[in-house]
Amino acid sequence: MMWVGAGPAWAGIPAEQDDCLGCHGGDATMSMDLPSGEKLGVYVDAAVFGKSVHGEILRCTDCHTEKTGYPHESKPFASKRDVQVAYYEQCKSCHFANYTKTLDGVHYAVMAKGNRKAALCVDCHGSHDIQRASEPRTRISQTCAKCHDGVFKVYASSVHGRDAEAGNQDVPVCTDCHKAHDILDPKNGALSMRTPEICGRCHTSEKMMSKYKLSTKVVDTYLKDFHGMSATLQRGTKADRKSFAAVCTDCHGVHDIQKSSDPTSHTMRANLVQTCQKCHPGATKNFPDAWLSHYEPTPQKATLVWSVQLFYKLIIPFMVGGLVLQIALHLWRVVVNR
Amino acid sequence: MSTSTMADSNVSTSYLVRFTGKQRAEHLVTMVVFTMLCLTGLPQKFYGAAWAHRMVNLFGGIDAARWIHRFCGWTLALSTVVHFASALVTIAGRKTRLTMIPTKHDFDDAVATLKYYLGLRDHGPKYDRYDYKQKFEYWGLVMGNVIMVLTGIILIYPTVLARFLPGELVPAAKVAHSNEGLMAFLVITIWHIYNAHLNPDVFPFDTCIFTGKISRERMEHEHPLELERLEAEASRAGKAVAPHAEREVVG
Repeated sequence: MMWVGAGPAWAGIPAEQDDCLGCHGGDATMSMDLPSGEKLGVYVDAAVFGKSVHGEILRCTDCHTEKTGYPHESKPFASKRDVQVAYYEQCKSCHFANYTKTLDGVHYAVMAKGNRKAALCVDCHGSHDIQRASEPRTRISQTCAKCHDGVFKVYASSVHGRDAEAGNQDVPVCTDCHKAHDILDPKNGALSMRTPEICGRCHTSEKMMSKYKLSTKVVDTYLKDFHGMSATLQRGTKADRKSFAAVCTDCHGVHDIQKSSDPTSHTMRANLVQTCQKCHPGATKNFPDAWLSHYEPTPQKATLVWSVQLFYKLIIPFMVGGLVLQIALHLWRVVVNR
Repeated sequence: MSTSTMADSNVSTSYLVRFTGKQRAEHLVTMVVFTMLCLTGLPQKFYGAAWAHRMVNLFGGIDAARWIHRFCGWTLALSTVVHFASALVTIAGRKTRLTMIPTKHDFDDAVATLKYYLGLRDHGPKYDRYDYKQKFEYWGLVMGNVIMVLTGIILIYPTVLARFLPGELVPAAKVAHSNEGLMAFLVITIWHIYNAHLNPDVFPFDTCIFTGKISRERMEHEHPLELERLEAEASRAGKAVAPHAEREVVG
């Protein structure tokens, strides 16, 4: 990736490719019959490849390493998917870091369990037509939508998705939360546990939040509360998801996050009891007030909490200081008496 | 060793019973439960610190630590209720002197003690069964227990509370529970450990609350008014308090 930008501006495709393109670049219908009954197209559009990120850099044999002469043998692939799975290995010879990351990702895990539909490099990036994945940025979510269409639709109507589709560069796309290569399994709770940190990347940024007049104290105030404290302590231990304390997404939603003033928002005042009831079945009308809505207690907001805080801020130093002073005086008296 | 020191050591090995079995058991329960509450509670207050995570892991995770915390909390609540219930029964039966009630005298004692420490008096005041420091600690613990138990129950059952009272009481209870707990921890580690262990008068260890026994010598030194009273009562009854009599002192 680094040397793509930094490399010399070679003109056109390396000369050797003419050898391959002599056969594969002519007839657009050129294909092989696979045992699965599928036809595997073996035509390569030289113009498309030339414009791809690899066009000026890679030779055919850099990826098709076994095709060393002419005529070349055909590998006994049973299906198109077999071809793609086999060529998964080729990307690692250059993109070793990202390849390795995919081995920790949920797609690889699902593939390893036998689901051959799980995304491989080429499923997201393409093959001969590879372009920068993030240009434009909205392309990322659309790439994911190829398989995750239901989730994409929900996201696209959320506060983040709407703005992203409108070209806002600040809002998160899929990979900002899920990561691109080492995508965590969203079902086992590990990703949820990281949400204070993930959401906090933007929501604690003064520069970004001031644009939208949003508070940057949301993570701090969350952490200070019972939920944040519990979640912090649970992160250190191997607990199962059902015993985790609420994280950002449990109240605000996941892909369907809306502004808290939006009538469909889970954190809209009128919807709050319902949101609390997800974890606190007995929650009633007063219960949402047990949560200070990301506000720091002040004399105006949460007067009672603020007063109790102030009381202890005064009484603890007074009490401890008084006792220490008395001990010091007593010891002094003991020394003097001797 | 001279004869006089022999005699002295004889006197000092004569004991009085200061605490009943029930009182000693109460102290033991409070001590164990309080320690466990601190060990499982403080990591929750300082949840961001590395030591807090190690401590929580030691108990097998936050859920297990909370279970222990709540179990100990309920035990403390129960022991507080039992303590007061039995005190009420004893008071109603007029079987006790109200030795733990703070009086104006205690305030005067505190002032006199400070004057003595500062060198404005030649000697400290003479104390009865409990001196003002002991009363202060007792009532501090009792009031602390009441606050901790009430706020603790709110924190275990926030939805139940919010059915009847404003929800804001829950975060207020959390602030109170967490700070009151810290204060109790500091008072005990600083004040109680000093008075029961590091204080030169008792160093290294005041065993009285565990054995129930206190030497006559210490009684003369620390609770002369009580000793006088006990001896007056005993002589009226025609027997000596010390050196051989070990009698139960109620209250």
